[in-house]
Amino acid sequence: MPLDFGTPEWARALAGAINASSEYRNSGASWGVGFNGNILFVFESGGPLDRTLHLLVRLEGGACPGAEFVPGPSHPDAGFTLRAPFPVWREVLTGKMLAATAILTGRMRVEGNTITLLKHAGAHRSLIHCVSSLDTRFPGA
Amino acid sequence: MDRLYQLLQNRIEGSVATPDEFHPAQLTNFGNLFQGTPRLVVSPVSARDVAATVAFAREKRLSVSTRGAGHSQSRIAISDGGILLSMSSMGRILSVDRSAKTVDVEGGVVWRDLVRHLAPHALAPPVLTNNLGVTVGGTLSIAGIGVASFKYGTQGDNVRELDVVTGTGEMVTCSRERRADLFWGTIAGLGQTGVITRARLDLRPTKPMTRTYYLLYHDLASFLEDAKAAMDGGRFDALESWASPCPQGLKPVGGRRQPFARWFFPVHLTVEYGPGHPPDDAKLLRGLKPFERLYTDDIPTLDFFERMTPVFDLWKRGNTWRHVHAWIESVLPWERAVDCVESVLPDLPPSILVGGHVLLWPAKGNSSESRLFMRPPGEDLLGFGVLPAVPPRFWEQARPMLENLGRLTEVMGGKRYLSGYIDWDEEGWRQHFGEQWEPFCALKRTYDPDSILNPGFVPFPAARPTGATAAG
Repeated sequence: MPLDFGTPEWARALAGAINASSEYRNSGASWGVGFNGNILFVFESGGPLDRTLHLLVRLEGGACPGAEFVPGPSHPDAGFTLRAPFPVWREVLTGKMLAATAILTGRMRVEGNTITLLKHAGAHRSLIHCVSSLDTRFPGA
Repeated sequence: MDRLYQLLQNRIEGSVATPDEFHPAQLTNFGNLFQGTPRLVVSPVSARDVAATVAFAREKRLSVSTRGAGHSQSRIAISDGGILLSMSSMGRILSVDRSAKTVDVEGGVVWRDLVRHLAPHALAPPVLTNNLGVTVGGTLSIAGIGVASFKYGTQGDNVRELDVVTGTGEMVTCSRERRADLFWGTIAGLGQTGVITRARLDLRPTKPMTRTYYLLYHDLASFLEDAKAAMDGGRFDALESWASPCPQGLKPVGGRRQPFARWFFPVHLTVEYGPGHPPDDAKLLRGLKPFERLYTDDIPTLDFFERMTPVFDLWKRGNTWRHVHAWIESVLPWERAVDCVESVLPDLPPSILVGGHVLLWPAKGNSSESRLFMRPPGEDLLGFGVLPAVPPRFWEQARPMLENLGRLTEVMGGKRYLSGYIDWDEEGWRQHFGEQWEPFCALKRTYDPDSILNPGFVPFPAARPTGATAAG
C-alpha cells in the first residue's frame, strides 16, 4: 500500500529501506565517516507541492540511524543541504534525471562541501534508489 | 550541377567535389555524433588555393570548415551547406633544416609520415600525439598533447612559424616575433582565425632505441607521487599512464546489477638510448615504489613513436572505430586529481576498455606558453581522459554520465581538452577561456570578420554568414 510522501511513516520507511539496502551499505560505507554526513533534503514548493518540505536523513558509514521531516529552512544537525523545486526532485526520484546532473547543472543547490558530495556520487545514487524504491503516493500523482 | 562548382574550380588548381562525389567519411568526424553535408568539398594544393577558396566563400557568403584527418568529435571538421576544406591534399614535407633542427611542412601532413621521413635524420618533433594518423594543422589547432608533453609542452609550443590564410583570404606568415597575435590565436585556436597552410616545426635529436619500464600501481596516490618524481627528476623521455580495470563481478547500481572493477594504474616510463649505452635501470628507477615492476621493453625509437598503431588497428578490426566517440578529456589541478579520478572510476564499467581506454597523463603546467590551450593554474597537472567507444544504440544511455563527467572535472577546477566531446553553451565557453575569452573574440573579429571559418563550434558573439549553417 503506497505511503503518502511527506508523512512520518514515509520517512521511517525510507530509513528502513536504506538500512535494508546492501547497495547503500557498500557504496555509502565511507559517507559520514570523519565528517557530518546528515543530509537535509529540501523539496521546495512548486508544481503539485503546495508547501516546502524538509527531510533530514541521518547517514553514517553505510547506515541510516533515522529520517524525519523537520521544520525548515535549515537544521543544526545537517552537514549538507540539497535544495531543489519539487518538479526537479520528481525527475530525480523517478530516474529521469541523475542527481549528479541536477547538482552539476545548478538545478539542485548544495549547501556544504560540494566536492565531498560529488566524491561520493555512488552513495547518493543508491540513496536516491532507496527513495525511488518506496511505494510512494507523491503530490499530484 | 551546383552553379558554384565551376566558378570555384576555375579559380583553384586543386579539385572541387560536389555531393555526389563525397566520401561518406567526409560527412561526419571521429566522434560519429554530428553529421553534415557540405555544398562543396575543396582539396587545395597550395596556400593560394586556400586563399582563393576563402575569398570565394566570403564573396558568396558561405562558411569554410577545415578538415585534416577529422579526428575531432564535436561540431568541427564537418560542414553543413558550406565549403569543406579537405587539407589532406596539402600533405607535402617541404624541407628539413638539420642544422637549425626544423622542418617545414604543409598543414595537411600526417604526423606518421613526418616521423618516418625524419627517422633517417635521427630527428623527431619533441611532442607526438598517441595517434599519429592526425594532421599537423589539426593538432596545432587544438594544442597537441603527448607522452613527452611534461617536458616539452604541447605541439603548439614547438612551432617556429606558421603560414596562415585568414578569414579575409589574406596569406600571413606569423611567429612569436611577427604577427604574434595571429600566431598565438592560431595555436590551439580551433581554426577560428585562419587555415594553417605551412608550419615550421622544431625538431630534437633522437637516439635509435628506447627502453620502457612497465610499472603497476594499485593506488592512485602512490602512482601520482611516483609520477611527480619521474617528471621532476628529468630522467625519462616519455611518461604514459592509464587506469585499468580488473573486473570483480556484478553489484547493484541504482537497483540493477552491473559489472564493477577494481582499478589499477599501469605506468610506462621510457628513455631513449644509443648503441653501447644501455640505460642504468637501477639509477633510473631509484626511489620509485610501484606495486609491481612488470616488464622492460627495448624497441627502436620509431616503433615507440608508432606504438599505438596496432591498438588502433585492433579497434578498427573490432569495428569500434565506427562507434560514437564522446571522449571526455580534461586537465586537472594536481591537488584535486585524486578526488576527481576516484569519484569517477567506481562508476565506469570495465567494458570501457572495449575500443577505448582511460588515460592519465601527468603534466607540467609551466611547460606550455600557449595562450588558448587552457589549463588550471599550478606547476603540476594531471590529464584525465575517459575515452570510450559507445555503440550508437547505447549513446543516449551513456550521454548523461559522460556529460556529468565533463561537468564534474570542471567543478573540480579542471579545464577540458577541446578535441573531445564538448556540449557547452556560450557561458560554458566563456568560463573555459576565462580572461582569454575577450581576446579570443577580438582575434575572431580581426581575422575572420564575417565569421566564415569553422562555424558551429565556438559560439562567438558575431553574425553568421547568410546561407551558411552551423558546421554540424
